[in-house]
Amino acid sequence: MAVIAVHQFAQCITCHAWSPDQSMVAFCPNNNEVHIYRLVEDKWEKVHVLEKHDQVISGIDWSARSNRIVTASHDRNSYVWNLEGSEWVPTLVILRLNRAALCVQWSPKENKFAVGSGAKTVCICYYEQENNWWVSKLIRKRHDSSVTSVSWHPNNILLATTSTDGKCRVFSTFIKGVDAKDSKKGTSSDLKFGELIVQLDLSSSWTFGVKWSPSGNTLAYVGHNSMIYFVDDVGPSPLAQNVVFRDLPLRDVLFVSEKTVIGVGFDCNPMVFAADERGVWGFIRYLGERKTVSSGSTYGSQFSEAFGKFYGQSKHGVSNDAVETSKTRGAVHDNCINSIIPLGQHGILTRRFSTSGLDGRIVLWDLENEQDLLEL
Amino acid sequence: MAGAEGFVESDNAEAIITRIEHKTRKIESLLKQFKPVEALKTALEGTYAMTSDERCKSAHWIVVHRAIMAIKDVDGMLSSLDPEYYDILMKYLYRGLATGDRPTCDQCLRIHEKLTERAGHGCILRFLTDTVNTV
Repeated sequence: MAVIAVHQFAQCITCHAWSPDQSMVAFCPNNNEVHIYRLVEDKWEKVHVLEKHDQVISGIDWSARSNRIVTASHDRNSYVWNLEGSEWVPTLVILRLNRAALCVQWSPKENKFAVGSGAKTVCICYYEQENNWWVSKLIRKRHDSSVTSVSWHPNNILLATTSTDGKCRVFSTFIKGVDAKDSKKGTSSDLKFGELIVQLDLSSSWTFGVKWSPSGNTLAYVGHNSMIYFVDDVGPSPLAQNVVFRDLPLRDVLFVSEKTVIGVGFDCNPMVFAADERGVWGFIRYLGERKTVSSGSTYGSQFSEAFGKFYGQSKHGVSNDAVETSKTRGAVHDNCINSIIPLGQHGILTRRFSTSGLDGRIVLWDLENEQDLLEL
Repeated sequence: MAGAEGFVESDNAEAIITRIEHKTRKIESLLKQFKPVEALKTALEGTYAMTSDERCKSAHWIVVHRAIMAIKDVDGMLSSLDPEYYDILMKYLYRGLATGDRPTCDQCLRIHEKLTERAGHGCILRFLTDTVNTV
């Protein structure tokens, strides 16, 4: 079984992040606080509560090497928390936003972080040593709607964003004084802050969950139309693939290898996608167990009941048992999974990851025993 | 951008309507040969091409409607239909359901049930979220 552990922490979790040694987990239980729990002898104990935000926290990221937590909230603010002694001390980051912050991520070198917002802007924040504070530079142009997700390329400069305007964009976030110019590659125009490198218009619906592959060669993101998009050779002539799948839309994805992606979303069950030898991406299987509603059984789920009523209107008879639902009873998550985080060191390929969802659970997964997936 | 496209389209609209008339004749002949599945495939082909023109959409719908109503064996039809047509068929089923006409709705509902079994909820979602390629 791919599931290692299931932890019920709250009624609903919006986002979560793990400490560098994975002994502690920070999450937002759908309010304005961040709760940090530590595993003490097989039991989870609440060790810290970070209270500074006024509204729900939509994004948390915990940097692996510098051990800092960054939080972004609907109150249009972001805080960077540093552990001093046994207390987490917040530093306000003035993002200059007039709408909610929706997502946040530390860059690979942890000297910058990106915040996507409902103000159609992306804030790139970096630390200014002289003034001892975090400065925010805004990418104001280009987005027509809320920025739902951000992801850093391994080179610490390129940033991919997805938005509810249906497009995925890649920007350069080069900041003089923070980033070193790489004289080997890239023309000078690429290195301008806020420069749009590529814009992918593959989806006609909201897009979420963008991630780069470990090498930075491939991008994956999902649309709200039950499709997942894979883009190879991101650059002037990218190769895009639209993969259609059966069930409900995804919300977030994770690369567990260069050729394997796990998607999570409204089906409450992680989906595995992989590229074959020719580089063609396709759906492989679900990770968790799926029990299909067998014919003749009572309509255990709301879906079946609704479909029953829908088809019952037809005078050609009712045969609604055969409608397959992927909402299983006894499944690991029973509400939408909205976040998937790798467990292990950043940048190093890992087969372990955790998911959190609207059901308030954090579930740890390991692909170690999934032989068929390891061989992909 | 939409304006410019509309300008080009009014020329194309005539071409499309002519093509639809050809299709109608082909479909009628296929139906006479008792090949309703072929008829439906022919009807569904090329329906996306450049149509934000309402007349073209209506003409396409009439053709697809004719083919849909002629289907007797829904399971058989779906088994031989290429999966790439599932999404476009779903869109036409919803258009049929929107007409409110009893026989059309019954037929569309029957096909909808089987199509959802095969194609999953994703198919319905792609119909709901696609505001660009409407039928």
